[in-house]
Amino acid sequence: MHNLGFALEGAWKVLVASLILGAGLPMLFALGIRSLAWGAGGDAEVHESGVTGPTPRPAGTIAGWLLFAIVLAGVILGITFIVAGGFGKALSFEHIYPTIVNK
Amino acid sequence: MILALVVVTALGFDFTNGFHDTANAMATSIATNALRPKVAVLLSGILNLIGAFLSVEVALTVTNAVVKIQNSNGTPKPELLSNGGTALLLIVLAGLVGGIVWNLLTWLLGLPSSSSHALFGGLIGATIAGLGWAGVNWNGDGSKLDGVIGKVILPAIMSPVIAGVVAAAGTWLIYRVTVGVAARFTDNGFRWGQIGSASLVSLAHGTNDAQKTMGVITLALIAAGDWTDTKNIPLWVKIACALAIALGTYLGGWRIIRTLGKGLVEIAPPQGLAAESASAAVILASSHLGFALSTTHVATGSILGTGVGRPGAEVRWRVAGRLVAAWLITLPAAGVVGAVMWWIGHLIGGVAGAIVVFLILLALAGFMYLRSRRTPVDHNNVNDEWDGELVDETPVPAGKAS
Repeated sequence: MHNLGFALEGAWKVLVASLILGAGLPMLFALGIRSLAWGAGGDAEVHESGVTGPTPRPAGTIAGWLLFAIVLAGVILGITFIVAGGFGKALSFEHIYPTIVNK
Repeated sequence: MILALVVVTALGFDFTNGFHDTANAMATSIATNALRPKVAVLLSGILNLIGAFLSVEVALTVTNAVVKIQNSNGTPKPELLSNGGTALLLIVLAGLVGGIVWNLLTWLLGLPSSSSHALFGGLIGATIAGLGWAGVNWNGDGSKLDGVIGKVILPAIMSPVIAGVVAAAGTWLIYRVTVGVAARFTDNGFRWGQIGSASLVSLAHGTNDAQKTMGVITLALIAAGDWTDTKNIPLWVKIACALAIALGTYLGGWRIIRTLGKGLVEIAPPQGLAAESASAAVILASSHLGFALSTTHVATGSILGTGVGRPGAEVRWRVAGRLVAAWLITLPAAGVVGAVMWWIGHLIGGVAGAIVVFLILLALAGFMYLRSRRTPVDHNNVNDEWDGELVDETPVPAGKAS
């Protein structure tokens, strides 16, 4: 059953990559929403004690949009990956930051 | 003549592929009202169209994963080419018919089964009928992941599990992070996230699935002697396939959207985001590493996963069980149809045989379409409360229908 070996070898790579991108990015997105709500203050956040949050905090708003930007960058990377694959190119991470190389 | 039938049938398969798989990307967005149903299918259709054009990578060897009717460079096996390639064309035609018939039947029942499995099943069945058991590439040659087991069965077992784990983890994290945040922030924000991630799945679907049909049509053209280049695909084939899959997506397999969006799990926007992100990530990561998988299996696994990951969510395991049962029989069932079609075509022989096979396809497709009209599911009732059945089988009185 050589196929099983190949499949298992690939499966954990897919699992790790997908956990980072498919669960990590949504978590950052959720953090962004949390920051926005924290930044907006007022009744955006309801605490367990039932007390509503204090006045607006700009830092939270900025952090929120920053997190969205990171998520967006991840998505753009995903689209670039699809497009590059279609034209016979591949994304390479050998310089840490992604570059488009020939396959 | 036979070639024309093969091309039309292949485009027909591409079309069913599109509307069968709309649900994979858009079911969650429709279920959470992030997008109105009509807008969702339009967006998905356009992205599939774009995706299909982006996939210029040659997919000529698509059948090699499961059957031995092509050489490794994409040219058809020479022994199948006598008499204008009739032998190969009949196998391909019968295989496609098997795929379409199974896609339509599962659509009628509202079951999200894999279109790739339907296609491969049909081809395997037709090949067994035409060339015998040895004509099927069961287990590859041991050098890489290959064959029916390596390219079809193992990914089908693993990909839904991986997608489910990722989606469950994502859902759990999202709910942990947003505890106590007002609903007006979470719902709106996550709806946007959902639309983005669902669009990514649509785009990836277009690039993955339209290729398969392009490859099959080009193979048929080569067999019939109308095309010789194994490095490129004729432009009209690309355009026709892209349009067929986009149109099918736009039409929307509402029955399947309903099952995936409402039937398995009651989905809230954060779960939708988690599910689509997990699907997109698994599909992209696997295709990057060169693994073939079915978008359907991934999407279903993801949606199940978000049900498991959200504390207190209800997962309808009975529905899930029926889906898994449908997956298990997709390959053999499409194979049986493909084999029967090959025998019918072979017994009658030549062009007449191919025409009869094509007419049988039209008759079956027409019958299933009429059956579907008795209990229509469309953009108006796709989100109705789930009543426990896959597709309500009680006939609607005439006049009330549609």
